[in-house]
Amino acid sequence: MAGAAPLVALARRAADSDIFYSFRRSPMTVAAAAMTLVFIVGAVFAPWLAPHDPFESVTVELLDAFTPPVWDARGDPRFLIGTDDQGRDVLSVIMYGSRISLMVGFAAVIFSMVLGVSLGVVSGYAGGFTDAVIMRLADVKLTLPGILVALMVDGIARAAMPRELHDALAIYVVIFAIGISGWPQYARVTRGATMVEKNKEYVAAARVIGLHPVTIMFRHVLPNVMGPVLVLATLGLALAIIAEATLSFLGVGVPATTPSLGTLIRIGNSFLFSGEWWITLFPSLALVLLALSVNLLGDWLRDALNPKLR
Amino acid sequence: MAEAGQPIVEVVGLARYFDVSKPWLARVLQGQPRLTLKAVDGIDFAIRRGETFSLVGESGCGKSTVARLIVGLHRPTRGHIRFDGVDLTALGTRAAQAPFRRRMQMIFQDPFASLNPRWRVRDIVAEPLRAFALVATGETVAGRVAELLTQVGLSANDGEKYPHEFSGGQRQRISIARALSGNPEFLVCDEPTSALDVSVQAQILNLMKDLQRRLGLTYLFISHNLAVIDHVSDRVGVMYLGRLCEVADAQSLFRRPRHPYTRLLLDTIPDLAMTGRARGPVAGEVPSPIAPPPGCAFHPRCPHAGERCRLEAPALLEHDGALIACHGVEEGRL
Amino acid sequence: MALLEVEHLRVEFETRRGNLIAIDDVSLAIEEGEVLGVVGESGAGKSITGMAIIGLLEPPGRVTGGEIRLAGRRIDNLAYDSMRRIRGKEIGAIFQDPLTSLNPLYGVGRQLAETIMAHTDASPTAARARAIQLLGEVGIPAPERRIDAYPHEFSGGMRQRVVIALALAVNPRLIIADEPTTALDVSIQAQIIQLLKGLCREHGTAIMLITHDMGVIAETADRVAVMYAGRIAEVGPVRDVVKSAKHPYTKGLMGSIPIMGREVERLSQIDGSMPRLNAIPTGCAFNPRCPDGMARCGVERPDLMATGGPNRAACWLYAPLGVAVHG
Repeated sequence: MAGAAPLVALARRAADSDIFYSFRRSPMTVAAAAMTLVFIVGAVFAPWLAPHDPFESVTVELLDAFTPPVWDARGDPRFLIGTDDQGRDVLSVIMYGSRISLMVGFAAVIFSMVLGVSLGVVSGYAGGFTDAVIMRLADVKLTLPGILVALMVDGIARAAMPRELHDALAIYVVIFAIGISGWPQYARVTRGATMVEKNKEYVAAARVIGLHPVTIMFRHVLPNVMGPVLVLATLGLALAIIAEATLSFLGVGVPATTPSLGTLIRIGNSFLFSGEWWITLFPSLALVLLALSVNLLGDWLRDALNPKLR
Repeated sequence: MAEAGQPIVEVVGLARYFDVSKPWLARVLQGQPRLTLKAVDGIDFAIRRGETFSLVGESGCGKSTVARLIVGLHRPTRGHIRFDGVDLTALGTRAAQAPFRRRMQMIFQDPFASLNPRWRVRDIVAEPLRAFALVATGETVAGRVAELLTQVGLSANDGEKYPHEFSGGQRQRISIARALSGNPEFLVCDEPTSALDVSVQAQILNLMKDLQRRLGLTYLFISHNLAVIDHVSDRVGVMYLGRLCEVADAQSLFRRPRHPYTRLLLDTIPDLAMTGRARGPVAGEVPSPIAPPPGCAFHPRCPHAGERCRLEAPALLEHDGALIACHGVEEGRL
Repeated sequence: MALLEVEHLRVEFETRRGNLIAIDDVSLAIEEGEVLGVVGESGAGKSITGMAIIGLLEPPGRVTGGEIRLAGRRIDNLAYDSMRRIRGKEIGAIFQDPLTSLNPLYGVGRQLAETIMAHTDASPTAARARAIQLLGEVGIPAPERRIDAYPHEFSGGMRQRVVIALALAVNPRLIIADEPTTALDVSIQAQIIQLLKGLCREHGTAIMLITHDMGVIAETADRVAVMYAGRIAEVGPVRDVVKSAKHPYTKGLMGSIPIMGREVERLSQIDGSMPRLNAIPTGCAFNPRCPDGMARCGVERPDLMATGGPNRAACWLYAPLGVAVHG
């Protein structure tokens, strides 16, 4: 009972908060959140929810390859939206693929967020020479297109590692490649917010009692600059998911044996003109829906956290 | 510890310049020189234990910079700050400064910015306790926080709330509770009531007086409001463009101002007693502290300025118990 | 007939937690050429009253009751365009921060000339000449050289002078001045107040001076209205309100102001703080803080009533004896 009381109070406060109110008032946002939730649940629980296991060679029959969706005359009720060239159920592959897409997306965003926010807080709080060095680095990074950097990282990783090792580590390489290209945005936003916060009197009050600058940065300043960073992270998640799909589509992302939305689209692409449109259409739709939903959530969050637009 | 009446804080030749030039590249490209803002330009004063010493002046005169120099938020460009006889400017490390930081605290102007919005009040108030490791266990921290909150007229339960749940006056009480948590002897109060409504200002000023009497505190009080200064101060220093132009006990400063700038300031106070006294209109505005006038910085606005005032900066000299920096007073013209 | 008549004004803010009543049954009048001070602490509703009069209430705030008449003509129900013509031509406005009233992208002379041409049929040359004359009148040195300067090239005090020139440009009959000196240094405050008062006397312009600073009111206003929690607590000639306040709130307010040369150990203080709009006490809104509260105060809301002096106060202390007041 004693443990539940604060939780109940917290839930009540959340339900009563302005953010939740603005959420409920926007049907588009509610729909986007629902869609995102469907993807996350479908991805996380894919092994239990998916009608087939696309990795289990016992159940995957080459005979089932190129089955169209059920509403087609040649359709098979076992495969709702058809099968791919290897006889895997497209719906199941999408669910497992979203798993990879979301995991890479989240991990890449967290990676660039941690890196960017740390550098941004230090840059904004220290100022001067440190600030100049970090910001020039960010400028240099921003002149290179993200996808180019990701390709470069992948190329270097491929050259530096034996093939088996690269395949085993491919997913981490992708996460690193996407994450490393995102940090300057976080650093810039955090730096700006930090420069505003550090001149506020609560920071001066902490300095008067002689706290170490690092303590002040992370205990006082950081919690107060996270609002804009969260918005950026949400919007960044959609970008990271698309970036992963792009890399996989280009064949430099996760190995072809691992189902991801990008891989699936690439495979389907080669059968697009021979009539097997469903292999590429459904994963593409899934990708668009997922990215759009996450983006809409990010837009809403940006508006909800901006007191001027409220 | 020093006895009452002995100086607790002594400021000697204190100066702080700020580099306000544009970034190096812009300066080189546009061929501009470095610009220095002399926020505080060589001031001396001493604050006696148990008194309220005030600094008054218009915006940009450097009074807040003095406050920030004393509590260590800025490093002096030159000069010394002695606390209880120890030169703080000579203490290098954080560890060496810590015992003195505990004994002096600061109250800020804006109660909406001086409390971290993400922290609960109990953590805000307890932060100095934890930083100075003044109490050992969680139980005593909670007890001390409750005691502090009650002392400033809040309820002990208020510790659970966040700053945004309080009004401006209540927030300023929280700031005071926080400042008192390390048992300081000396409080620097930078415009503590300027952001508050007058009826709330009265509450806070009364609270500060009560606390001073009860805890034997010494205050450095910064304000632009002369009526407030008159009410709270024992002694007053008047600042203009980074320098002191008059230091005297409050009684004589307000009854018999000597420096022309002090007179000007007193003339601008609204006449609430409705005596029919007209506010003296003052010609001119405060010049930029980046390019202060030569000689006495006040001479362009001074009705009594002579040739010497335009050339030579006056020194702060004693006249009838007050310290005045004015050639006119020195020469007996005023 | 008074120049401005406000009767039973009510302003509400629609929020998701219900309607907040920011101004509740406020009536006041300003005579031709008169300076009415409206004083109160933050949250009293003084600025909202001013905004309601010039029709610049920001949504979700809106006038939900009462009438505002300028020279006998109702102005609270006008369409946006007709109200815009009245603003500027008949009612001028001066706000606390001069930068919000000036466009940073145009020279001050151009802004003045445009205002003049928008409300009169002056030619561009005539408007410019008038702009130079106005800048001179508000005490800007060398106006013919400063006329093309941009707002950021002026100091705070000089900018507020430009805003006054802008407000006076087409000789309005009323100026709403909301905290016009709050952002300025004390020595500049006196200059601005004297300027405003002098110019309005010359032009016969009435002023509604909204401020929290009793000192500014004391030396500028002819009459003063003291507001508390969205209502007028006391109204009367400035001297009487300052020197012999009748409402317990005004008394407390006056006692809490430190006054030069008055030796007191402690300032008299009103405990507590102004109620938030969502928690205005029933009866008299001041009753929980009032030292003279009676049983009736918590139940029945007092309207302004005669006090035996020139002031009227909304306080049951002055209820006519033996007469039950209803409504």
